[in-house]
Amino acid sequence: MNVRSKWRIGLLVTGLAVGGGVATMLYRRPAAVPEPPATAAKSLAVRAERRAYDGAPPVIPHAPLGNPCITCHTTVAREVPGIGLAPPNPHLKTVGLSETSRCQQCHVFQTATTTFVASDFRPLRQSLVHGDRLYPHAPPVVPHHLFMREDCVSCHSGAAGRTEIRCSHPDRENCLQCHATIRPIASVLRAPGR
Amino acid sequence: MDRRDFVVSLGMIPASTLITGCGNRSPNSPPPAGDAKLDETRLTWDKAPCRYCGTGCGVEVGVDAGKVVAVRGDVASPVNQGLLCVKGYHLPAMLYGTDRLTYPMKRDPGGKGFVRISWDEALDTIAKRFRETLDKSGPDAVGMYGSGQWTVFDGYAALKWLKGGMKTNNLEPNARLCMASAVSGFLTQFQSDEPMGCYDDFEIADDFVLWGANMAEMHPVLFSRILEHKRRNPGVRIIDIATRRTPTSDFATTYIEMKPGSDLALANGILHLLLANGKINESFVRENVVFKRGIEDLETIGYGCFKGQTESYVFEDQAKDSSLDELREFVRDYSPAKVSQITGVSESLIRLLAEVYGDMSRGTVSTWCMGVNQHVRGTWMNNLITDLHLITGKISRPGNNPLSLTGQPSACGTVREVGTLNNRLPADMVVTNPDHRAKAEAIWRLPAGTIPDKPGRHTVDMFRALIRGELKTLWIQTTNPFVTLPNLHRFERKPGDGLFIVVSDIYPSPTTEIADLVLPSAAWVEREGMFGNTERRTQHWNKMVDPPGEAKEDAWQIVQVAKRMGMGHLFPWPDDDWHKAMFEEYRQFTLGTGKDLASYDQLKVAHGLRWPVVDGKETRYRYAAGSDPYVKKPQGVHFYKAKGYGEKAAFWLRPYHPPAESPDAEYPLWLCTGRVLEHWHTGTMTRRVKQLHQAVPEAYVELNRADAIQLGVTTGDRVRLVSRRGKLELPVVVDGRGRPPRGSVFVPFFDGNKLINRLTLDAMDSISKEPDYKKCAVRLERV
Repeated sequence: MNVRSKWRIGLLVTGLAVGGGVATMLYRRPAAVPEPPATAAKSLAVRAERRAYDGAPPVIPHAPLGNPCITCHTTVAREVPGIGLAPPNPHLKTVGLSETSRCQQCHVFQTATTTFVASDFRPLRQSLVHGDRLYPHAPPVVPHHLFMREDCVSCHSGAAGRTEIRCSHPDRENCLQCHATIRPIASVLRAPGR
Repeated sequence: MDRRDFVVSLGMIPASTLITGCGNRSPNSPPPAGDAKLDETRLTWDKAPCRYCGTGCGVEVGVDAGKVVAVRGDVASPVNQGLLCVKGYHLPAMLYGTDRLTYPMKRDPGGKGFVRISWDEALDTIAKRFRETLDKSGPDAVGMYGSGQWTVFDGYAALKWLKGGMKTNNLEPNARLCMASAVSGFLTQFQSDEPMGCYDDFEIADDFVLWGANMAEMHPVLFSRILEHKRRNPGVRIIDIATRRTPTSDFATTYIEMKPGSDLALANGILHLLLANGKINESFVRENVVFKRGIEDLETIGYGCFKGQTESYVFEDQAKDSSLDELREFVRDYSPAKVSQITGVSESLIRLLAEVYGDMSRGTVSTWCMGVNQHVRGTWMNNLITDLHLITGKISRPGNNPLSLTGQPSACGTVREVGTLNNRLPADMVVTNPDHRAKAEAIWRLPAGTIPDKPGRHTVDMFRALIRGELKTLWIQTTNPFVTLPNLHRFERKPGDGLFIVVSDIYPSPTTEIADLVLPSAAWVEREGMFGNTERRTQHWNKMVDPPGEAKEDAWQIVQVAKRMGMGHLFPWPDDDWHKAMFEEYRQFTLGTGKDLASYDQLKVAHGLRWPVVDGKETRYRYAAGSDPYVKKPQGVHFYKAKGYGEKAAFWLRPYHPPAESPDAEYPLWLCTGRVLEHWHTGTMTRRVKQLHQAVPEAYVELNRADAIQLGVTTGDRVRLVSRRGKLELPVVVDGRGRPPRGSVFVPFFDGNKLINRLTLDAMDSISKEPDYKKCAVRLERV
């Protein structure tokens, strides 16, 4: 195929894509809700097991290792020999927190499997529905509070990012340029999360 | 499996139960689709202070279908700026233990346990028993024991009913066990309770001196503010003075370990060096300070638990004038060498502390908590810490203050401001002052002479009198004294004792077990409330969900009993709309006094306001020109509340006294008790949260490694701890989060199944009558 042919095909594809996109926007059909991937149920159950509710700090799922948490929980996910994947520290862009903060103020080791008394607590669970969209293909609104979760890629990308919430375009630096927040807060405005 | 089944299988809430009235939704967001799952954006969120400690963190409470399902840190709260601790994050589950008390019960006269009764029967029974006791035995035979976890409404209702209705001052809070020494500290020095400083200092001061305060676990959010300040300003120092290494020590610039009870000598040693080195602020002292001494004779004062003081302790201090010259002579005895001998602290560290307080170019904040307050000379130790700030002029200035940390969410707002203590009335007033009684009677529209002028019994005496049968009818709300009283074995009820004890709580506890009648209370956001925190911040919250079953808020319970006793005139408001009217009546006590509270309407929308609030504006630093509206000077400070000291602050000369009981050959170890991060007090709430229970499921004893090796035990082994008063088997922890020095052990008190207070000593501070839970002698036995 010569260069001219490639150009023609390229233009055709581009035209179809743009036209289709515009037509979709004009048509305004109801937003389709993608089905969660097959692995989501297990992944969600594991996630829920470690949290009192969606938004609560997870308990520490391993025994004390004798090192400061930030030895393994760095800015990116990393494999810890013999244990598994250590997710990154997602709070490094949180105003008031840093690598010198005391992690165990919020995250605690579990030393028992019993319960003191049974509970009727019905927690908020993480929803896998994409955030609200103004129209199909519009970028979804962030469906959760951003405080403590300013560093979007720590959960939505990288080795520790669960497939069902993994972002298709983590190379675009400023997530909040397109994804509106449910409530902008000072820390986010000062230090936009990637 | 279809999509809806999938949703339900994951524990999602069906769309039919959605509440869509969310104030925080983006205006562009469409309403939730018919089958949308519940997410954070679709909850109803409202502000509240955290239920637990005296920090007063702001949380946002997420509600769905009438239940609390989530919380998040309130980024608009100046206290925590969005951060929380693990207890705060797990607040929602605290409400939903399956054993919530949901209906009134009375002790089954024929059998064991309790039987369900109606609210009418319960309230009628309580009113009848209080009335009978009043008629037969007089007002000294009734009492109420409340809490620093009472809301302002609960405390005010109790105060008015007891002092204005039943004409007794037998009203006490569990805060007597917690921060009464801080109260008497501030009152003896400023004739007005509560700190002059505020949390703003955590981003301003250069040096933080922590006296007996494990802030990393007990005030974690405040400690995280200090840590962040230190990270941004590497010259900031944290000096941790303690009797055991804690998580706080791990983050401290300098850890100073002292022998139990020797802080009195250490503070005097610092004063010795400040005076010897000329590091005092003489002009400040001349303008703003008077010197006082009290009774110092050890035999006269005693400890409240030996010889003639075993049953009743009524010691009262007597002030006499002193001077700076007398102080110089007084601290001559506290040379670095001698203080080092008493405290076990090296002379170089004593000199370091003197340099910290004496460096006028650096801001110094002292914080303290139970190590200082639960102390046989707790008031003295409070005085001495504030003395260090008075002698250097490091007070009522940004970054320079003594800031006593409060343990409970409304120990300040309810106990100290409303005045739910045996000798108090609202806004610093006392029952022994005829003008104060007259003011209260005028606001309450009661005849002159209604409020008795004799203080009631303080907490330990109240329970001693109860068991002796002198106090016959007692109502306990929002607290668990049959876990927390010292020397607990003294307080066991005997069959047929003729007493009548009512307990209001949200869960069964060792205290409900000994009750004659149990009332189910509404908790936290199940009712409207207000708390006041450590930095004088009053915080309001709305009722957000219904309480379970027939549970009712504590204040309502009190009002209904009062009405059944013919005291309805005390609460002349409609049963369904009384919070605002009650608060505005209470607020009258505060206006124009320097303790002015904001209006109900202002507090309802604000994220808390620090009193005095004048013209709608809060106050950062009390007594400081330019900050406190009551100070009319252009600059400097004015201790305008201290009328008895010529509107100056009192510097108290206080000597070192040894602890009430020290280790000996028979009982060779120190026992210290306290809290852990994960559990609130006696654990009635936090133990019902799976994540918190599984983090710390039971009490344990922390041992020094050398002591453990000598005994031949290690982590996980069980040992028996024995004191002169009781014994208890516990698992051992060596090199855990707390590391006591050789010769001492630590046990947390949250575990109602392992009552460490059967071993503690009921020795008390001479002035505040607060027990010392930090120092007694024990021995260890292998099991």
